[in-house]
Amino acid sequence: MTKKDNQKDEAMQQLMKDPRFKLLTAVIKKNQNQSDTLIQILHQAQNLFGYLPMPVIKYIAEALSLPPSQVYGVVTFYNFFSLKQKGEHTCLVCTGTACYVKGAEKILAAIHEKYGIKPDETTQDNKFGLQIARCLGACGLAPVAVVDNEVVSKVRVEDFMPILEKKIGGKP
Amino acid sequence: MKPPFPIEIDGKVIQVTEGQTVLEVCQANGIDIPVMCHFEGLPDVGACRLCLVELKGVPKLLPACTLRVAPNQVINTQTEKIKKYRKMIVEALFCERDHVCAICVANGNCELQDLAKKVGVDHMRFPDILQPLELDASHPYFVIDHNRCIMCTRCVRVCAEVEGAHNFDIKNRSYKVRIISDFNQPWGESKTCTSCGKCVAVCPVGALWSKSSYQGKIEKKKEAICDLIRKRKVNV
Repeated sequence: MTKKDNQKDEAMQQLMKDPRFKLLTAVIKKNQNQSDTLIQILHQAQNLFGYLPMPVIKYIAEALSLPPSQVYGVVTFYNFFSLKQKGEHTCLVCTGTACYVKGAEKILAAIHEKYGIKPDETTQDNKFGLQIARCLGACGLAPVAVVDNEVVSKVRVEDFMPILEKKIGGKP
Repeated sequence: MKPPFPIEIDGKVIQVTEGQTVLEVCQANGIDIPVMCHFEGLPDVGACRLCLVELKGVPKLLPACTLRVAPNQVINTQTEKIKKYRKMIVEALFCERDHVCAICVANGNCELQDLAKKVGVDHMRFPDILQPLELDASHPYFVIDHNRCIMCTRCVRVCAEVEGAHNFDIKNRSYKVRIISDFNQPWGESKTCTSCGKCVAVCPVGALWSKSSYQGKIEKKKEAICDLIRKRKVNV
């Protein structure tokens, strides 16, 4: 075995010690290792871990007897799945046409100014992650943002930043 | 045997049977439809949109390769609108990535080049996106150059369906879309690749080539793959 393989095994062993890993195996077992339940299983894994670490993806591919490239393709295709850690608190800003016109860009600029992160990035302490969406389908509420799964609608920048700070807990 | 029924293509009445695609019918009757992602024997995905046809009663254009024949269909394949669209699609394929024929291994043996000649693309109306992408030469025999890839996914399908290895797949979407090997690894580190070279044989452009070929001297054994698929189907 090469050095690289050893390292990979270490990552796998670490994963097996993780208590969340047991829950994941239970989910896979419940779905009887059926390959067509891939998306449900990825969904559960994402909820368990907050994102999809590489060892988890490898384990799922192995357990469902699916080609590695196909699983990776599914993970990168859907916006919901993430290969990177999303951060303890998340903020999703809609940048669809209506929200853009109503000043979504200003919100993003304000966040960048305060926390120093751009879309799809997280702060260094992994406390806060920023995402953007093309359209949430709620243009009547423009501009829309989703902070920790809670919709904040028709906000102006001045009003939005205090809401965000309150959720995240003050300092960046 | 299901009973044949007539459909109308370009004003001609043609007898077809259920289950056939419009593209199959057209090819069998000498009606010329340009294709790119279609490869004889591989499952069709309708990715390139070059085989678009007009179906009477449907406002949008439909890809002939995935359109099944049905009774009372009236289809047009050579209208001005379709010709305009085809030309535009070829131009879009050219400007999406780096297609410079003069330095390409597939020069003179390239389906994209032939198609451009056929639909009359002599210059580009759109600006090039030109995003320099990586070239993966980690495999001992083959090279994949993402700059020349047109995302027809023939290699993905031949690897999954014919070889059965499923080394390739696609990641992301839109302009970020790429062919990947295993877990987005270098091709040479892939555990599933059997180095059979079927992907190289079916690639319509110069995105996949073997290390023994050089500029303009690529050999693609497309007929061999077609033959293989046909013989297997007969034996099954």
